[in-house]
Amino acid sequence: MLDLQFARSNTFRWTLMVAGVLAAFILALFGFIYWTIDDYLITRSDRVISAHIDGLGGLTAERRLEAIDERLRQDPRGVQLAAIFAADGRRITGNLESLPAGLNIDAPPQGVDIIRIDRGGREHQTIRAIARRMGDGDVLVIGRNVDEVREISRVVGQALALGLLPGFCLCLLAGAWLSVRAQKRVEEVNQRVRRIIAGDLRERLPHRTADDPLSKLAIIVNGMLDEMETMIHALAGVGNDIAHDLRTPLTRARLALERGRTNATSLEQLQAVVDKAIAGIDQSLTIITALLRLAEIENSRRSAGFGNVNLHDMLREVHDIYEPIAENKDIALQVEVERPLTVRGDRDLLIEAVANLVDNAIKFTPDGGKVSIKLLCDGSEPVIRVTDTGCGIGEQEREAVLRRFYRSDKIRNTPGVGLGLNLVAAIVRLHGFRMTIHSGPGCQVEIACPDQPD
Amino acid sequence: MAKVLLIEDDAETAEEIKAELADRGFDVEWSANGIEGLDKARSSQPDAMIVDRLLPGMDGLTVIETLRKEQVRTPVLVLSALGAVDDRVRGLRMGGDDYLTKPFAIVELVARMEALLRRPAESRETTLKVATLEIDLIERTAKRGDRAIELLPREFRLLEYMMRRADQLLTRAMLLEEVWNYKFVPATNLVDVHMGRLRHKVDGPGDPPMIHNVRGAGFILKAVP
Repeated sequence: MLDLQFARSNTFRWTLMVAGVLAAFILALFGFIYWTIDDYLITRSDRVISAHIDGLGGLTAERRLEAIDERLRQDPRGVQLAAIFAADGRRITGNLESLPAGLNIDAPPQGVDIIRIDRGGREHQTIRAIARRMGDGDVLVIGRNVDEVREISRVVGQALALGLLPGFCLCLLAGAWLSVRAQKRVEEVNQRVRRIIAGDLRERLPHRTADDPLSKLAIIVNGMLDEMETMIHALAGVGNDIAHDLRTPLTRARLALERGRTNATSLEQLQAVVDKAIAGIDQSLTIITALLRLAEIENSRRSAGFGNVNLHDMLREVHDIYEPIAENKDIALQVEVERPLTVRGDRDLLIEAVANLVDNAIKFTPDGGKVSIKLLCDGSEPVIRVTDTGCGIGEQEREAVLRRFYRSDKIRNTPGVGLGLNLVAAIVRLHGFRMTIHSGPGCQVEIACPDQPD
Repeated sequence: MAKVLLIEDDAETAEEIKAELADRGFDVEWSANGIEGLDKARSSQPDAMIVDRLLPGMDGLTVIETLRKEQVRTPVLVLSALGAVDDRVRGLRMGGDDYLTKPFAIVELVARMEALLRRPAESRETTLKVATLEIDLIERTAKRGDRAIELLPREFRLLEYMMRRADQLLTRAMLLEEVWNYKFVPATNLVDVHMGRLRHKVDGPGDPPMIHNVRGAGFILKAVP
């Protein structure tokens, strides 16, 4: 299957095309070389035979015959051709059987077919020749075998066969190999992706060295898969937490109702039981509301309801709202503003975030403590800092407090849903701000609000 | 007797609401789908309507929109299982006067119904008076009898809201929405703390109390103690 498929793959088609173009180019190059050399050799031959015929033409008839004999004898390569024909066409001397047909007399050198007779038989050759009529009416023919040209063309052809054909084959092989290899890898990736789709979240894509693009892609995709696996596990964890946190109050409600139905003997008792049940159901509903709110914020787009928010006014408002609550617990709630600062954001959400932080701070600070809301400028960034003198958040709990439903063991008996900081974190993320939690003697939460380009 | 039209497709929920409103002295008419509800709204001219958002036939918001186009100004309370802020804003923009997310406490529904039926008329008066309690909306001052009451801005807003709706039950959620402009429910019992302070100022020692806490429901400013 694979053997046939590679021929249809893109890699292979490309290789084939490139190889074809290369071959055509090389052919053209060789053709050019051949043509140039051919031209050069013919010009040279023509020059030589023209010079000879000029030389021989100036001699007497006897000397001419001697010169021709001499010339033919001293030609080990057998490239020289010469003959004298009488006016009636009879051969007087030389190695040509007859005056070549089509050879123009007293014309520049030209190519003609002749029959050569000096080497023990008749031999057809194509030569360059020139003919001239002498003073006595004889026709002198001087020729030169341009076999060298054919030799060169043979060499060029051989070179072509030796170079081009194997090269072309090599190209095809390389193309086939590359495409088969690519196909194998794609097939492997396909299989693994199918396994991931089927639910095997631990599967990863194969990769070799970091330098090849496919491996780079695989590494990036693997990174994404890691992230997704973590998120899916986290989600499953959140699901469990939600189930647990919803079940607890519902169980209480159910138990109360069940026991009340059996044991209550008066209307007052039954009402007490029902009140307890309603409280349990309300607690579950509060959790659902908080979760939906969290999802709403996490899914909303930035800048939907964004405008300029005066942080100082906002903090004063939060202070006004929480001041009586703090006073009830004998906590000093202070607001300090270095200078008025403005950020782009959703005022309602930002109030919600700061209110949550202040709410937490007051909740976790023992009576007689202190909570301060500060607006300061760190470099060019406005920073909102909420500090309390409560129990603080331990180093190992910093990450955990941002998890849903996380409630520190230290505060198990304080009422709450355990989603407050998640809400704050979601709002902060939506704005592109940063939240950091420090811990000294108490707890200090900072929201840095860098300017976000819209 | 106030006539209320309830358009709600869940029979059990409708039954409970009908029974509760009937107990409170309302005359309740019920319709289980949007088209029939719209017809009833046109024919029987109720004093107020309670409309569920998701209804068979025609959805609740379309019913309200249609009525508003016909210049019907009947106050409408929208009920919905969709609780997101955007849904709420949409419900109010389409002509609803108040919006309540399911599930809700029945006292919340009744309180909001009463509030819709007894919406204070826009008045040009610059002072409000309930029994001996009096506030000046321009000077931002309050007094009970001859005793002047020092109020913070938000306390003044709270008192003004309550005086405009004297003798009505005001739930915590209503107060949060209207006085604090909160679109979320804070973890702490904010309203109670603020109300406690206001009550402390309004009901001085020796005065008969005017601000009453209705257990599990909310608060009432009563003219006659």
